[in-house]
Amino acid sequence: MSDTMFGSGNHQWVCPNDRQLALRAKLHTGWSVHTFQTEKQRKTQVLNKRELDIILSVIHRAEQLDLIEQHRIGRLMERLENMRRSAVGNGLSQCLLCGEALGLLGTPSVLCFDCCKKVCTKCGIETACNQKRAQWLCKICSEQREVWKRSGAWFYKALPKYIHPEKDSFMDRRPVIEREEQPVARSVPITYTWAHRKVDSSESDSSDSELSDASSDRKTFVSASIKRRHSALSESSGSVPLTPLQSILSSPSRASFLSESHSSLGSERSSLAPAPEDEDTDQGRTSLSAPVLRRAGSQRSSSSSSSSAPATASSATETGREKNDNDDDLDRAFSAASASASASALPPPSRKEEEPDMEGYDSDDSTTLGTLDFSLLYDQENNALHCTINKAKGLKPMDHNGLSDPYVKLHLLPGASKANKLRTKTLRNTLNPVWSETLTYYGITDEDMVRKTLRISVCDEDKFRHNEFIGETRIPLKKLKPNQTKNFYNCLEKQLPIDKTDDKSLEERGRIMISLKYSSQKCGLVVGIIRCAHLAAMDANGFSDPYVKTYLKPDENKKSKHKTAVKKKTLNPEFNEEFFYEIKYTELSKKTLEVTVWDYDIGKSNDFIGGVSLGINANGERLKHWFDCLKNKDKKIERWHTLTNELPGSGFND
Amino acid sequence: MDLSRRKRFVQNGSSPISAVRPHLEGRTEGSSAHTLEMAKADHRFGQRDGSDQNFDYMFKLLIIGNSSVGKTSFLFRYADDSFSNSFVSTVGIDFKVKTVYRNDKRVKLQIWDTAGQERYRTITTAYYRGAMGFILMYDITNEESFNAVQDWATQIKTYSWDNAQVILVGNKCDMADERVIPVEKGKHLADQLGFEYYEASAKENINVRQVFERLVDIICVKMSERVDTDPSVVSGAKTTRLSDKPTQLPQNCC
Repeated sequence: MSDTMFGSGNHQWVCPNDRQLALRAKLHTGWSVHTFQTEKQRKTQVLNKRELDIILSVIHRAEQLDLIEQHRIGRLMERLENMRRSAVGNGLSQCLLCGEALGLLGTPSVLCFDCCKKVCTKCGIETACNQKRAQWLCKICSEQREVWKRSGAWFYKALPKYIHPEKDSFMDRRPVIEREEQPVARSVPITYTWAHRKVDSSESDSSDSELSDASSDRKTFVSASIKRRHSALSESSGSVPLTPLQSILSSPSRASFLSESHSSLGSERSSLAPAPEDEDTDQGRTSLSAPVLRRAGSQRSSSSSSSSAPATASSATETGREKNDNDDDLDRAFSAASASASASALPPPSRKEEEPDMEGYDSDDSTTLGTLDFSLLYDQENNALHCTINKAKGLKPMDHNGLSDPYVKLHLLPGASKANKLRTKTLRNTLNPVWSETLTYYGITDEDMVRKTLRISVCDEDKFRHNEFIGETRIPLKKLKPNQTKNFYNCLEKQLPIDKTDDKSLEERGRIMISLKYSSQKCGLVVGIIRCAHLAAMDANGFSDPYVKTYLKPDENKKSKHKTAVKKKTLNPEFNEEFFYEIKYTELSKKTLEVTVWDYDIGKSNDFIGGVSLGINANGERLKHWFDCLKNKDKKIERWHTLTNELPGSGFND
Repeated sequence: MDLSRRKRFVQNGSSPISAVRPHLEGRTEGSSAHTLEMAKADHRFGQRDGSDQNFDYMFKLLIIGNSSVGKTSFLFRYADDSFSNSFVSTVGIDFKVKTVYRNDKRVKLQIWDTAGQERYRTITTAYYRGAMGFILMYDITNEESFNAVQDWATQIKTYSWDNAQVILVGNKCDMADERVIPVEKGKHLADQLGFEYYEASAKENINVRQVFERLVDIICVKMSERVDTDPSVVSGAKTTRLSDKPTQLPQNCC
C-alpha cells in the first residue's frame, strides 16, 4: 500500500501520477508525499548549508530582478495615471482626452471600444484587431492594454505588485533603484508605447508635449498625492502577490527546510536596503545554518565592527542625493561610498572591467563552476611557457557570503612537484576576478610540449580551512604552436580523475605501508604508519618533509586526527608510529580510515602529497586490507598502498 | 601546521578584517554593476526613458523534467551558447535572463531552471505559479524520464496558472544510437497532452533556440488574444490586485 501511495525505489523521486494523486485526495492526506514522511526521510530531505546558501543566493538574485520589475511596472502605472489625470474632456460632447468639442460642427469623433467614451481622432488609436473591422481605442485604454501586457497582468489576471516611482524616494533607499529613476528621465521626451508604429510623427510629437504638460501638472499634485501614496503603499504591500519565497514561507510545513531561517529571510528580503541591516542578515544566516563553524561565527561577529563603513556609505549616498538631483554627482557619491566600503580589497581597474559586462550579470550562475579566460604562449627560443591568466567569470560561490576568494594554480602534468606549481595572487570576494597575471615556466623543452599537460585550476582561498577547489581545465601542450599566443575561454570542470589523463601521476605520488589490527583486548583499532616510499618531491630541493595524518571517519567528535612526526628532507621516510582508535568492533565496519601524506612547509601551506582511504567503500587492495583486518581480529596486517591525489572525502574542509 | 597557516596569512598581508568585507562589498558591487548595466542599456537604445527598460514584455519560463535530462544544459546552450559534458546537478532552482527580439518586440525572458530531483520539489513547485511558459523535458535515451512526462504535466496542472503554455521537448536527440523513445511516441504523447513537441539537442545545438522562440510566440499569441479580444479582462479587473492569500495553492503540500 505504501508503495502505491508513495512509490518505491527509484520512483520515490518521480512526481506522483494522477492515480496516486487521486488516491491521496480521497484519503485527505494532501497532495504531497511529504506529509507522510517519517522523521528519517525528512532528515534526508533537509537541505544542507551549502544548498541553502546557493538557493538563497538565487532567490536573492531573483528578488533584485523582481524589484526592478516592480519599479518598471510602477512607472508604467504612473504614466497611465498621469494620462488619466490630464484627461480634461467628458467623453460625451468633448474629446475625453483633449477636451475638444466634438459633434457635427466640431472635430470628428470615434468611440473607444473599451471605455465607450468619445474621443477625437487624434486622441484615438485605430487598432487592427484580429477581427476584420477596425477598432478604435482612446489613448488611455490603449495604454491600459499595453500596461496590461507589459506588466504581465494579462497572464496573472491582475496587476502584479509594483512600486510607485515617488514612493521609494522616502520609503526605501535602495541604491539600485535610486539611480535609475532620477527625475532627469522625466524631462526627456518620452515616447508612449502606443506611439511605436501606428501613430505618425506629428501625433507622437503632440503626445510628447502632452506629456510634458502632464509632468508639469504633476508637480502640483505630487504633494497632494503624497499622503495618498503613503497609504497606497501600505495597502499595496498588504495585497501583493506572493513571491515564491513568501509562499514557501507562508506554509509552515513547506518551509521545513527554511523554518529556522524564517526571520533571517525576512531580513534577507530587505537586504537590498542599506548596510546596517546586514548585521542582522549575517546573524540570521549564521543561525540558520546550524553546523556553521565556530570560527566562521566569530569571523562574522567581527563584521559588526566594520559595519560603520557601509553606514557612512549609505549616508553619503543620501547626502549626495539631497544636495543634487544630478545623475553624475550621485554617481560620484555612490561610487565613492562603495569604494570606501570596499576599501582596497579589490583593485579598481578590475572593477571597471567587470561592471560593464551585462551578460556577466545575467548569466552568472551558481550551477556552473565558471569560465576562465587565459592565453598561453610557448617561447621556443627561451624555453619558456608564458601563461597569462586574464580573468574568470561567474565562478561558483564558495564562501558563506556567496562569493569566493579565487586564485589560479598551474601544474604541469604529469609530475607533482612544487617546482612546477605556479599560482596567481588571490582576489578577495569576487566571482568575476580579473587577475591579468602572467606566470612563466622556464626550462620547458620541446619534448615537454609534446608530453605534458597544463592543468589550470581555480581555487578559493580560505584562511581558516583548506583552500577549496572550484574548477579546473586542462590543456595538452601539444595543442600550442611555438611562438604563437593562443587564447582560451574555457568552462571550468569538476576535478578530473587524474588517472584518466595521466596514468603516471598515480605512481608518482608514492606509496605508503600501513598496518591494521583490531585489538579485541583493548577494544579498538591500531593503525600503524610504517613507512612511505618514492614520495613525490614537493620542495624545490627535490625532497619533501613528509608527515602522515590519519582520520577515522565519520568523525563526530573530531577527535580522530592523529599525526606522525615530520621526517625532514626525505622521499622514503620511516615512521613506525602506531595510533589507537577506541571503537567497538561492530562500529568499525561503518568507518573509513583516511590516511594522508603531507609535505610540511614552514611559512607556507603544507602540501598534500597523496592519500588513501581504507573502508567498506574503498576498492581493490584497500578494500581487501580493510576486510582482512575485520576478519582477522588481533592480527596485525601490513600492506602497501599506492597514494592517490584525491583528498579523501570532504573531511579536510571541516 | 596551524602555525604555518597563520604565517601564510601574515605573508599575504591580509588582515582577518578583510574576511568580513564580502557582504558589504558584494552588495554595493552588485548594485552598482546593475545600475551601470541599466544606464548602459538606456544609452544603447538612445532612450533615457527609464520606463522602457530595454524591453517590452517580460516572460517567465520554467524548465522541468526528470533529473539529468539536460535542463541546465539546454538553458546554458540557449542563454550562453555553451555546453559542458560534465554533469552538475542543479541545486534547487536557478535562472538566467535573456532578451530576445520577436515580432517587433523585445521580450525579456527570465528562464528558471529547476532541479529534477524530488528533494527540491518543494522549492521548484513554488515557482510554477509565476511561469507563463513551461518547457517539459525528457531524455530520448531514458525511458523513465519519458514515462514521467505525464506526472510532470500533472504537476503543471496542479501548481501553475491555468493558462500557462507548455512545450514538450525530447532532449539529447544527437544520441541516436541510444535512443529508446521514438519520435512518434513523443509526438503522440504531446498531442495527447495538448502540448507542442520538439526534439532537441543542447549538445549539438539543435532546436534549442527554436523551442524558446516558439514558446515566446505562443505566449505572445495568448497575450494578444487575451488583451485584444477580451478587453473586459483589462477594464473589468482594473482594480483587482493579486491577493496574498495563497488560496489557490494546495494547502496540504509539503
